[in-house]
Amino acid sequence: MTIAMKPLSLTINDKPVGPINVPETMMMQDFLFEYLDLTGSRMGCGQGICHACTVVLEKPDGSLEEMRTCITGAHWFAGRKVRTVEGQAKRDASGTITALSPVQQAFIEHFSFQCGYCTPGFVTGATVLLDQLKRNPVRREALEQVISEALDRHICRCTGYVRYFEAVRDLVLKTPGLVKA
Amino acid sequence: MARKLLLAVLTIAVLGVLAAGAVFLGLFERSVVAKDIEQPLSAEQMKTLAKRGAYVAVAADCYACHVTKGGAPWAGGLPFETPFGTIYSTNISPDKEHGIGAWTRAEFHRAVRDGVGKQGHLYPAMPYASYRKLTVEDVDAVYAFLMSREPMKVANKANHLPFPFNIRQGLAFWNLVNLSSDTKTEIAGRSAQWNRGRYLTDALAHCGECHTPRNLTMGMKDSAYLQGAELEGVVAPDITKAGLTRMGFDPLVFASFMKSGISAQGAMTNQMFEVVHFSTQYFTADDLAAMSAYLFDLDKLPERTTPPAAPQPVAVSADVAASARASYLAVCASCHGGEGQGIPHVVVPLATNASLRLADARNLNKVILSGIPAQRFPGLERMQPMPGFAAHLTDQQVADLSNWLRASWGGQQPTVTAEEVRKQR
Repeated sequence: MTIAMKPLSLTINDKPVGPINVPETMMMQDFLFEYLDLTGSRMGCGQGICHACTVVLEKPDGSLEEMRTCITGAHWFAGRKVRTVEGQAKRDASGTITALSPVQQAFIEHFSFQCGYCTPGFVTGATVLLDQLKRNPVRREALEQVISEALDRHICRCTGYVRYFEAVRDLVLKTPGLVKA
Repeated sequence: MARKLLLAVLTIAVLGVLAAGAVFLGLFERSVVAKDIEQPLSAEQMKTLAKRGAYVAVAADCYACHVTKGGAPWAGGLPFETPFGTIYSTNISPDKEHGIGAWTRAEFHRAVRDGVGKQGHLYPAMPYASYRKLTVEDVDAVYAFLMSREPMKVANKANHLPFPFNIRQGLAFWNLVNLSSDTKTEIAGRSAQWNRGRYLTDALAHCGECHTPRNLTMGMKDSAYLQGAELEGVVAPDITKAGLTRMGFDPLVFASFMKSGISAQGAMTNQMFEVVHFSTQYFTADDLAAMSAYLFDLDKLPERTTPPAAPQPVAVSADVAASARASYLAVCASCHGGEGQGIPHVVVPLATNASLRLADARNLNKVILSGIPAQRFPGLERMQPMPGFAAHLTDQQVADLSNWLRASWGGQQPTVTAEEVRKQR
């Protein structure tokens, strides 16, 4: 059986990628790993439950959405803009990291993770949440609920949930404009 | 002459009003509850009956409606959104104030079989048109069982029905048209298994309440018995022999599907998930066999059955196939598989899925748009949640995908339009 290939072009971490011939049945996760060596997003359950594999979809209107790469075909991302966990920190011209993203920094400061397998997914999920709060700030009393709803779907086998939660809450509270008076 | 005509018209009008009044007052209502039911059951009888009543109540699926998620057992409160307004199920725990604790045996019989409760007429959301066919013994058993439950001090919720539907006595008209005095389900010449199946289907499990379409008066349309009906925007499928066969069931697979909720034809969803959850999973093997034998019109369920042949694929245009295949590979294939084979114990197959074989595409479209929550099934089976794709697929993409799936695996004509999908969002 021959595997049907199809050219794929998209933007990943601000850089144009492709056209590359990619099997039309390939999932995004495999494409990131096998074709681009972007191994930061994790393959966990492989069936869309654990959310370790998520990446940020940067939509044309500038808003962000979290996408599961293990259950979404690579070709679904054709022509779209994606940010993987490798593209979260600031880098200099040589590619060296100069500053972590605010979410990454908060996770480090709160000792949020142990084994780190779920962390790329949590970074993605929290980054998307912050973007949503920037557009639609919440009332202070609703914040805990909003964080839970946004991140509950992320599974952490080391059960680091509380420290992830605290890191996100503190970051939201100290970032101006995310919480309404 | 004119005076005579006027007099005649007036007479007819007066007679009409009198007749309507007589109906309204229940003068034409025929109770099927015999006089001897007034005789109370002894404590000893109640005790013996209660044990059997537990099973009868499960087979009649009383609990599913008379409880809310997290609510007190048997205390009711489940809302029913009807075209006429919202009705709430009632407290049928033996609490004397809010429940049926003060009800006599005969009062309970009249509620279940005549649709007339102690406080007045019931609404037909309570399937008394079907329960009317229950045997005296089974109603007694349920009565004894309910009376043995813990009383729940939970007040009933008020219905939200506009005039004239808030007048309970008005149900006398509905009952006149839709209740039959012929309550026997047994047909001479058919086997005991077939007849037990008919009793289960028509009386206890009240299948027709959802699977038989309603007529103008909202009664069950006998001429289309079990041929499928619309229910909350989806379809309760045709469960006649022809309908079940079309969905890919054979008698043995169907019996096991009613027990487990899962088969090659898919997993129970919508209200049927709850029917399996609360009721049919507890059916005895004999009752499952009887129900299947009756629905497949067999006097005896065979030891072995062969599944019906897969439907012949129907051709779709190249445009539709290209659009659908791209969507399928993008958002369906990782779980349902390149060949629609699914993942055992995790995701249902599509290649043999009953929803793709229904004449009506709405069940499939709704699932594509809204997904299905994670569901636990008997025997530690669990189907993972299916995401909805309303945000990621356009109306046209959903229509193309639905048409392609139904044509390729379900043998259905590709007639779904983007407009139909838009209405389902």
